[in-house]
Amino acid sequence: MNVIEINGITKNYPAKKFSGDKIKALDNVSFKVGSGEIFGLLGPNGAGKTTLVKILLGITFSSAGKATIFEKPVTDVNIKRKIGYLPENHQYPNYLTGEQVIDYFGRLSGLSKSDLDKTTYKYLKIVGMDEWGTTKIKKYSKGMMQRLGLAQAMISNPDLIFLDEPTDGVDPIGRKEIRDVLLELKNQGKTIFLNSHLLSEIELICDRVAILNKGALIKEGSVEDITTTGNRYIFNTSDLADDMMNKLLMEYKSTVNGRNEFACNVNSVEDVNKIIDYLRSSGILIHGVNREKSSLESMFINLIEQKN
Amino acid sequence: MVLYAFIKGIFREALAKKILLTIFGFFTLIIVLLIFAITNSTVDGLQMMLESKSEGGLKEAVMMLQSGIVSGIPMFMLIASMLIITSSFVPDMLKKGHIDLILSKPISRTKIIIGHFMAGIILVFVSFLFLLGIIWLIVSLKTGYWNVNFLYSILWFTLIFAVLYSAVILIGILSRSSILTIIINLLLFFPVSWLLYLANRYFESDQKGIVFGPVAEALLKFLYQILPKAWNMQDMCDAYVTHSAITSYQPLISSLLFMAVMLSVSIWYFNKKDY
Repeated sequence: MNVIEINGITKNYPAKKFSGDKIKALDNVSFKVGSGEIFGLLGPNGAGKTTLVKILLGITFSSAGKATIFEKPVTDVNIKRKIGYLPENHQYPNYLTGEQVIDYFGRLSGLSKSDLDKTTYKYLKIVGMDEWGTTKIKKYSKGMMQRLGLAQAMISNPDLIFLDEPTDGVDPIGRKEIRDVLLELKNQGKTIFLNSHLLSEIELICDRVAILNKGALIKEGSVEDITTTGNRYIFNTSDLADDMMNKLLMEYKSTVNGRNEFACNVNSVEDVNKIIDYLRSSGILIHGVNREKSSLESMFINLIEQKN
Repeated sequence: MVLYAFIKGIFREALAKKILLTIFGFFTLIIVLLIFAITNSTVDGLQMMLESKSEGGLKEAVMMLQSGIVSGIPMFMLIASMLIITSSFVPDMLKKGHIDLILSKPISRTKIIIGHFMAGIILVFVSFLFLLGIIWLIVSLKTGYWNVNFLYSILWFTLIFAVLYSAVILIGILSRSSILTIIINLLLFFPVSWLLYLANRYFESDQKGIVFGPVAEALLKFLYQILPKAWNMQDMCDAYVTHSAITSYQPLISSLLFMAVMLSVSIWYFNKKDY
């Protein structure tokens, strides 16, 4: 089942007040997010990521296209009962304590006092903020604010959580803790929609990603598919003899990286198996065969540079 | 639940910004001054003065005193201060990063506006209840005349505030600026509404010292009809307190219509606005 379905979403903003000129923030964007996925939305600054999330949450309205969440139009207020949201640069009134922030937004989510009594400290504990619940948030660091924001997003036990730069300002240990929380949520069957600039993190936890550039969707797929560069395999073996290295170079057009590693382009899986057969018949031990991948970051940079 | 959250939020804001402390501190000061001002000799003197003119006696003396308390200048000062205090509530709500969160919750935009409107009114009602309720109690205990109609002034003042607060909501949404909201509303309340009130009284009277051109007269009458009539409502409040007859409810009806229009436009604009 798809939790989110986006079909041809377009968003135009007026370039200037009272002028007919328009800036296209989103251009005919379409994709789907399945249940229980961690989905990452990537893109450079100004790509339209936050605008898309705001459209999905009914904070901004699309100029054209249709989007549904849990098979209902995004304009339906009731679907928000199943949604949690951590916006980028979220602002809470600084005279509140962490506990009061959770209470205020929990009540706006429709939770009763007894619900909040049970859950406030449960979620503050999950994000490591239970000892700071009675402290005014003006004393919080950026990282603590992010953790509080995450607790706020989870308070109504939503099935779908939108997180816009959740690890912004958080130290490496805190990031790891937030990643663990997100993976735990995924294990509980929650769907997570993540906007982030930190591609290494996206790569670590996301099942699928979509890449936006200048308002247009330029790539979408599983992290595995997107980071796989082509039919190039890397073989790790025991020591290769000189004649074998020559044969690999000449016959299989391989690139040899020392006596224990070589890489070659193949046309099919059969070709990989032929090489394995050759190596095994020559008494070579195979330590590993892996399809070559690029990092999400290098793939992302290449893709954006190509489009620009 | 939503309304309760907004009310609690606004009371917390008022408490944190020392607004509640200022309001109740100032009101307590007024009450203390009143306790010392209303001595038995003051009431006796007022009573004697009235008895020499008419048969009213104590009741009229008390009503005269209470009428003075809810007269134009105190009414203006009380409501203007409440408008200043509450003018930041909507612009604060609309701050980037905060409004996103509120709009992501399962509440319709209409409820958000109505919730903020009601929360502001309840804050002001509680403040007026404290001030005017205690004043009523002191005056009644000191004089022995319990003029229950004086308590209606709490509702009248809250109603006048509500009418003007609807404009605060609209200007707050349009401008997102507390300062601009305060300036426009105070201008609307004091010079504009007050001058139109005086102009209307002048047009209705027989004495015509100043001659207005027909266009100017029509324009003033038109503006008088469409803008809130805080000062006429204060007259109606005074009539309640002094047990006098209210000649026309038209100012109340047109002010309530103004409030309905302001709220409707606020809701319409807020419902279509991107944040």
